[in-house]
Amino acid sequence: MSLMSIRNLSRSFGGVHALRDVSLEVPEGIVLGLIGPNGAGKTTLINVISGLIPPSAGNLSFNGRDHGPWPMARAVGYGIARTFQQTRVFMGLTVRENLRIAAEAGHGLRRDVAVDSGLDLEPFYDRVAGELPYGVLRRLGMALALAVGPRMLLLDEPAVGLTADEIAGMGRAIRRANESGLTIILVEHNVRFLMEIAQHVAVMDRGQLLFQGTPAECQGNQAVIDVYLGKGQADAER
Amino acid sequence: MHSRTRCYLIPTALLAAACAATPFLNDYVRYVATLAAIWAVLAVSFDVLLGYTGYLSLAHGALFGVGAYAGALLTSRAGWNFWLALPVCGLVAMGVGIIVALLAFRTKGLYFAVLTLGIGLIGHQMFFVAEDWTGGVVGFVGIPSPPTLPFLTLDPAGNNLIISLLLLWVTYLAAGVFVRSPLGAASLAIREDVVLAQALGIRIAAARMTAFAFSAFFAGTAGALFAAISNFVAPESFAVMTTGFQMVVLVVVGGMGTLWGPILGAILLTTLPETLRVASNYSLLAYGVLLLGFMLFAPAGIAGLLKKAWRARQTRQAGVTTPAARPATEGVR
Repeated sequence: MSLMSIRNLSRSFGGVHALRDVSLEVPEGIVLGLIGPNGAGKTTLINVISGLIPPSAGNLSFNGRDHGPWPMARAVGYGIARTFQQTRVFMGLTVRENLRIAAEAGHGLRRDVAVDSGLDLEPFYDRVAGELPYGVLRRLGMALALAVGPRMLLLDEPAVGLTADEIAGMGRAIRRANESGLTIILVEHNVRFLMEIAQHVAVMDRGQLLFQGTPAECQGNQAVIDVYLGKGQADAER
Repeated sequence: MHSRTRCYLIPTALLAAACAATPFLNDYVRYVATLAAIWAVLAVSFDVLLGYTGYLSLAHGALFGVGAYAGALLTSRAGWNFWLALPVCGLVAMGVGIIVALLAFRTKGLYFAVLTLGIGLIGHQMFFVAEDWTGGVVGFVGIPSPPTLPFLTLDPAGNNLIISLLLLWVTYLAAGVFVRSPLGAASLAIREDVVLAQALGIRIAAARMTAFAFSAFFAGTAGALFAAISNFVAPESFAVMTTGFQMVVLVVVGGMGTLWGPILGAILLTTLPETLRVASNYSLLAYGVLLLGFMLFAPAGIAGLLKKAWRARQTRQAGVTTPAARPATEGVR
């Protein structure tokens, strides 16, 4: 069953068509990997789904109801939370204060998120976020999104800039969140990381949806290989 | 002791100590302390908006005036009881504050400050223009003093000081409840990052409006008490460049984002000009220099300096590595 349906979604910035007539079904409980070259429209799609920007045309439905485009604060009320490509946490506050704010925003549903998410933030509780290493900030960003108690989590390049160990830790945290029933849309340029986690993959190119299927089907798709993966990459991922 | 209990017990104990000391102070010290307490009420409530929510309003001097004139009208012309008039004046200022906020929150950052500056200037001029209600340039005279508190046999100066301290105590506790509530958490989030706050589902409009209304309410009550204690109010007490500016200085010098810092700021900046009488004519200049000094060298204010000193002392005593010195990779799986 689809948790979210995206129908004929378009978004333009002046003369630039960032999204063109995108339709996509997101089944409940999966990790959907969203890949594509730079400028393909992945982050714009995340921004529209999360309500950060409105679409120019098209419709969104979540949990079987047509809500249409929604503002960001309402999207959270429906059960959609997100992280950002550029790390966004409350830099002037401690980790504890960051988590408290997110938990209060989510009506205190997930106060224990830092413990049960496997993001390992406890050692940093009393430290100001602005003083923390980049990898911890990425984990904190994800913890904030989890703390509001979403049904769907939009992760915008969570592994970017992380070390190999940190990427492995992030992968475990994403799997754990998914196993707890969370539906996840994962935008990522690290294809190996994404293919290991995602059960479905959608490929975008120049604002359009090029392909949707399993990771294996994706790696064998000639159009995807031509546009994004390249032959060597596809062979390596198999 | 539980931290929340401590939040109520410490101010209550300090209030009790200040009240107990009142009979032993001379009238001049009582008067200065009364002014400091009224300024502290303004500073603490203003800090909820400036320090916790991140909005610099320059209209609060006028809101202080709205409370003062409302108090003058209600107690001297309408014959209301002071204790009934006090919260009503707060509500009147809050109502005006909500209208101001509805206009001002259409902008942000510097534009918000400039827009509220304009509103503050208009408010100040309105006190001159609405002569029938305010007495215009001559001022409003004959405002009744606050009634004597029951069970206390104090002269008017002592009575005024205890009422001011009680209002400060109520303001401090109310501000504490606000900042520890979900609305307080939302306000902090707005101050830090509005986009992230929205992404977490925080209702920006409701949180910042509540912070503005809260600060306006207590500015109004402080104004009503100021009017009753002074028995006289005139428009120059509520100008942007005096009261409106002074509120900003008290909070910045005391320490934004702490509730006790602005009280220290109010005490320092009320008593300092009184102590250095020769410099009283230059008080606005002294305020400007202090603001400049703190912004440049101690942006976290007196509270920040004290916190820093306290942490350094604890570190010395513990003789252990501070958390900041932990390796950057700690906790990374």
